[in-house]
Amino acid sequence: MEMKPIVELKNLSKTIGRKKIIDNLSLSLYPGQITGFLGPNGAGKTTTIRMMVGLMEPSGGDIVIDGKLLADDFEEGLSKVGVIVENPEMYKFMSGYKNLLHFARMHEGVTKARIEEIINQVGMQNRIHEKVSTYSLGMRQRLGLAQALLHRPKFLILDEPTNGLDPAGIREFRTYLKLIAEKEGVSVFVSSHMLSEIELMCDRIAVIQNGKLVDIRDMSGEQESHYYIEAFPAEAAESMLKGEGFTVEAHEAGFIINAEKTQIPGLVQQMMAKEMQLFAVQPHRKTLEDQFLEMTGGGQIAEAHTK
Amino acid sequence: MLKLIQNEWMKLWSKKATWIMTGLLVFAILGMFGLTKWIDTVNNYEKQDWKTSVQGELTYVKEDLSNSGLDADQRERMEGQEKVLEYRLANSIEPLDSNSRESMIMNSGAIGSIAVLLTVIVAAGIVASEFTQGTIKMLLSRPVKRWKILTSKYVTVISFGIFLMLIGFVVSMLGAYLFFQSGNGQELVWNGKEVVEVSAWGKGLYMLLLSFANVFVTATFAFMIGSVFRSSSLAIGLSLFIYFMGSTLVMILAKYEVVKYIVFTHMDLTIYETDFRIVEGITMSFSLAILAVYIVIFLFISYMTFIKRDITA
Repeated sequence: MEMKPIVELKNLSKTIGRKKIIDNLSLSLYPGQITGFLGPNGAGKTTTIRMMVGLMEPSGGDIVIDGKLLADDFEEGLSKVGVIVENPEMYKFMSGYKNLLHFARMHEGVTKARIEEIINQVGMQNRIHEKVSTYSLGMRQRLGLAQALLHRPKFLILDEPTNGLDPAGIREFRTYLKLIAEKEGVSVFVSSHMLSEIELMCDRIAVIQNGKLVDIRDMSGEQESHYYIEAFPAEAAESMLKGEGFTVEAHEAGFIINAEKTQIPGLVQQMMAKEMQLFAVQPHRKTLEDQFLEMTGGGQIAEAHTK
Repeated sequence: MLKLIQNEWMKLWSKKATWIMTGLLVFAILGMFGLTKWIDTVNNYEKQDWKTSVQGELTYVKEDLSNSGLDADQRERMEGQEKVLEYRLANSIEPLDSNSRESMIMNSGAIGSIAVLLTVIVAAGIVASEFTQGTIKMLLSRPVKRWKILTSKYVTVISFGIFLMLIGFVVSMLGAYLFFQSGNGQELVWNGKEVVEVSAWGKGLYMLLLSFANVFVTATFAFMIGSVFRSSSLAIGLSLFIYFMGSTLVMILAKYEVVKYIVFTHMDLTIYETDFRIVEGITMSFSLAILAVYIVIFLFISYMTFIKRDITA
């Protein structure tokens, strides 16, 4: 990936009181890529996002947007950013249109025609002149997306964007995000708890825990293939598999090994030859959830939840 | 900046409360006029001859003047009164009846006291409501510096105050012409050298301007509390409390020198147009200077907290 990043976080830190909420976080985000931002509750996702859009002041480190320090030129930097922080709170006593007009006035060069265009894009044309207080949560999300995209940002930050959308809405939303990432080269940064959602949507994920970046990995690349094998006697099977040079991992009643498809028939024959009883051989796909728990250590989440 | 102010006006007038408040102002002023008129027609007491009452007043003033306990300011005011009263008798110029149209026009300072209440409500809520609605994060994650946003809000509050005063003035002019007859008398004043006639309109507008100082300071205070504590009810409560309790505090402290430096002493500038003072030894320019200092402090606190604040949750 030799592209120039649109956003760079460099050694970003935030200390509140004595507590380090964000600790030396460095991350680059590239045009046309959708990056998922994952982390257990209280890991610092929202704090990071709030610092990126000027709602909070970093205690240390830099935020660089399109080559310029945000701290040096706030207005220039943020003019390239569209954002939905958690639920999009709108002025409920005004119509959707007036809300959009309100935010349009805060950006340079958003025309009336652009407002109309974005209203059509998010499919709000029928109810845009009604008060926001009459909207459903899903409609508010659409309006939230509309206000974030008004000024054609190069960088879009979404915090829990699919919250309150119905399945059709989520799919539509996903397709739309992929479209603007591909066609307009927008870099999208999505934080979400819905792992399956992130999995379908993102090219890359960044995992944060206790304010530190734990891992960044590409989702688009071919995943290593895994197989699930259940055999009796288990001990013999395990030592045999290890002897073949696979990494063996206990899973339910059997093992998961990092085998390629072509290796499987040979493996089965070997096991037959040793008169093992084979109950199951099946491809195993590690879900993002597994990976996430692996990276963050499941206990941490449970701990955070019970707090 | 103009666009930001436009935004604030749009939000302000999209709220029903704003329309209700403006309606209330119109209603209250017309009601006051109606009531005065009604009382006037009910109490049809016999009118004293104006010369007798002016003569009586003059005797009082002369008596007071012969008192040695007066300080320079008081003496000066009294002498002015004496000059005016003597001039009336000498040239046979009747004082204005308190229920004449001209008196009503000149009484425009009362508009300020209603406008204060309503402007304070807007000033208290304009920043605080963004926090309670959660819209603050939408508002501040824009390519607009925070001081610009706060300035647009402050300008909106002050212009709303001006707007209410003007509406109030127009309505009370309407009331004055609708309900009251023009009087025979003439308002006179001693300008230091001679007795001159005062135009009712000029004085009316001047009183309006003076009473605006009160609106301005109280609204700025409410604006500060609203942006520091992010609670509009606290801001409304505190502002109205000091608005009503201010003069009581001044009376309690009137004996001490410190009273000259607290804001309440100076909030009502119309005292310079009447002969009633609680605190002696202050001048209009001194009052304006003190008010300016307080306004700067209030605004400094508002800006510092608003710009530095981390927006969480």
